[in-house]
Amino acid sequence: MSRSPSPKPGGWSSPGLNTPYDSGGANGSSHNVTWASAQARSAEVKGYPGFTPRNQGFFSKHFRRISTSLPISYGDKEKLGRGRYQGHKFSQMLNRVGWNLWRLRRSLGVVLLIILSIVVFYATPALHRMYRRSALFGGGNKYVIILAANQGGGVMEWKGPREWAIERDSVKNKKKYTKKWGYDLEIVDMSTKKRYAHEWRESWEKVDTIRNAMRKYPQAEWFWWLDTNTFIMEPSYSLQKHIFKNLQDITYRDINVYNPLNISHPLTDEHLDAETRSPVGDGRVESINMLIPQDCGGFNLGSFMLRRSVWTDRLLDIWWDPVGYEQKHMEWEHKEQDAFEYMYQNQPWIRPHVAFLQQRKINSFPPGACGDAGDDVNIHYQEKDRDFLVNMAGCEWGRDCWAEMYNYRQLSNRLNRNPWEKFKDGISDFFKKTAKKEEKKKKKKEEKKN
Amino acid sequence: MHFAMPPRKTSRPPPYAARNSQNSSFVPPVLRNMLRSKPRVIVGAVLGLLTLLWLLGMIGGSSSSVPLTNIPKVAVGSGAPVVIVTVLDPSANPAWVQKIKANREEYAKKHGYLTHFPTPNQYPLNNAPQSWSRVPALRHAMTLYPGSTFFWYLDSSALIMSPNLDLHAHLLSPAVIEKHMITNAPVVPPDSVIKTFSNLKGERIDLVIAQDKEGLAPSSFVVRNGEWAKFFLDAWFDPIYRSYNFQKAESHALEHIVQWHGTILAKLAMVPQSLLNAYVSGPNAQNGQYKEGDLIANFPECDKEGRNCAEEQQPFFEVLERKKQG
Repeated sequence: MSRSPSPKPGGWSSPGLNTPYDSGGANGSSHNVTWASAQARSAEVKGYPGFTPRNQGFFSKHFRRISTSLPISYGDKEKLGRGRYQGHKFSQMLNRVGWNLWRLRRSLGVVLLIILSIVVFYATPALHRMYRRSALFGGGNKYVIILAANQGGGVMEWKGPREWAIERDSVKNKKKYTKKWGYDLEIVDMSTKKRYAHEWRESWEKVDTIRNAMRKYPQAEWFWWLDTNTFIMEPSYSLQKHIFKNLQDITYRDINVYNPLNISHPLTDEHLDAETRSPVGDGRVESINMLIPQDCGGFNLGSFMLRRSVWTDRLLDIWWDPVGYEQKHMEWEHKEQDAFEYMYQNQPWIRPHVAFLQQRKINSFPPGACGDAGDDVNIHYQEKDRDFLVNMAGCEWGRDCWAEMYNYRQLSNRLNRNPWEKFKDGISDFFKKTAKKEEKKKKKKEEKKN
Repeated sequence: MHFAMPPRKTSRPPPYAARNSQNSSFVPPVLRNMLRSKPRVIVGAVLGLLTLLWLLGMIGGSSSSVPLTNIPKVAVGSGAPVVIVTVLDPSANPAWVQKIKANREEYAKKHGYLTHFPTPNQYPLNNAPQSWSRVPALRHAMTLYPGSTFFWYLDSSALIMSPNLDLHAHLLSPAVIEKHMITNAPVVPPDSVIKTFSNLKGERIDLVIAQDKEGLAPSSFVVRNGEWAKFFLDAWFDPIYRSYNFQKAESHALEHIVQWHGTILAKLAMVPQSLLNAYVSGPNAQNGQYKEGDLIANFPECDKEGRNCAEEQQPFFEVLERKKQG
């Protein structure tokens, strides 16, 4: 834009008329002499006949001296070059920048306001949690994490300090995650619930607790069940982005893709309809009501997801059945998990609504589960791929749950350091390394000497 | 913009400099610049819209993409209103089988219904009693006629005695079923703790069945087509029940799932026996004895050893024959 410098609002300033310190208003309108002000002034004179010194404050007394001693002086402006200060080139440039900024203050103000509001948005956790939670923007309130606590505890096994520590860590991890993304967290105490007084149906309670959660969070759509011995390694992944936005691409409906249980699929009985006989159901994302990962031994319900739907209602209703329980409770060591595997195989209505997730999407295993080496890229946690969650499945049988939990927590913290922390750690690492090298050199020298 | 001559000033200057913008609403210079030309406005609007969309969809939303397969979906209700399903034992007397078939086919023809007559060995029963075959038979009929609304299983031991009575109008329309269904009554007589729900709506009913003296009688029942029907039939047909040796096979299994699973009980309408399953000889409930005018005359277990359906039903066939002629 070619534009001559425009006058200040109110017209050009005429040099000499408005000296900077007394131009209160823009165009000298502070000198409005009204009848009332004149009267007040004369009253003042009448009231105090004595001399009332003006300029009594320090600033007004010494104004001139201060202002003339400033490097940029408006006082000199009139004498030299007609209202244009010709001094140092640098200060001239600064002046021009300042003047341009002032000229563009309106548009710049808008930009500044936007930047400021972004900073405020991320600096106040409550605000962006609300944003991420809201159905309109983030949609975080559509997701609930159900965390089973106190598993395997109960009356028979008292929990030791390690178990408490594991639980505390696990809960803290999920709390932080759900808070960050605006999800809901439902912590379930598995030991206090039982349906029948004569039976200790612990860990069959999954069904009841999921139902309760569905009742408790009526706005939620997806429910993610998590066992205690799990740790979210990458809290920066949102469920939406990690899973639900690209369900079609990351899930497989046809179990033949990975079929450790050797379930014959699809069904071929002629009395079943086309959708039930199809390997992928109706193939639409909308018909997926359950997401489960498979480990080396079949379905794994340590971390799985259920969508609120009539289908899910029916599944939760039929899952526990006394006849099945009576016949199979000795055989079904993993309770719901085995029962669900059985139902998947024998009740055709279930298949078209179940989709499988690659295990490492939501349920990576540590070494020790499904192979001691921990080298199966389909099953085990891979640090370089930044897997989302680690499930220390089966650590209570002969492994050290607490040590695993601790190690993964440390690893997660290290992987998710912010740049400043990385920088600091990098420096300290550098010094440590050089120190080590020097030590080694010394040792070598000593060895040589010897 | 430059002019050769400055524009002429008015000879009466205004006492105060006028404000730059006449309109009182303040438009930021950026926006004013944008509004200057049409393409700018369009580009600006598009950018604004994109920003808004990006904000809205940044982390929320779910995906919807092309389906993996394309299975044509037939709307329920587009086909015949009722399909009659009867499982016929291939080892039975062929003349009698023919009569039973004709009995259903004539009725179906009269009211625009369809029929389905499978044999038990079509289905994978895994050594379970043959009476279990009614469950997959219904599922099979639903596969064959996906557009039909109601599927009526009628045992081969039963006869349709009132060919003029339209089952749909007589029993299945929501208003009628609401009138007839027995609510808050024990599912298994006389004193089961589980009772039918008392606040059911007629249009939500998916299973219509009658109760005889001993319990639910799955020798004549109606299932509405839909996802629930698949769930119900598959759950009922679970091998775990077939191998459990329920004393009365599928009928006890049915009572079991109805009593233990609320999602099934909530869809069940129990109707008086005389409307759907009147007994000629058998353990009928109160008012369940067959009388002239009832839709069905059932001879429960007439196909069991020592009995002969054809013989027992002979007088009724004659009655039907007379009705047809006169």
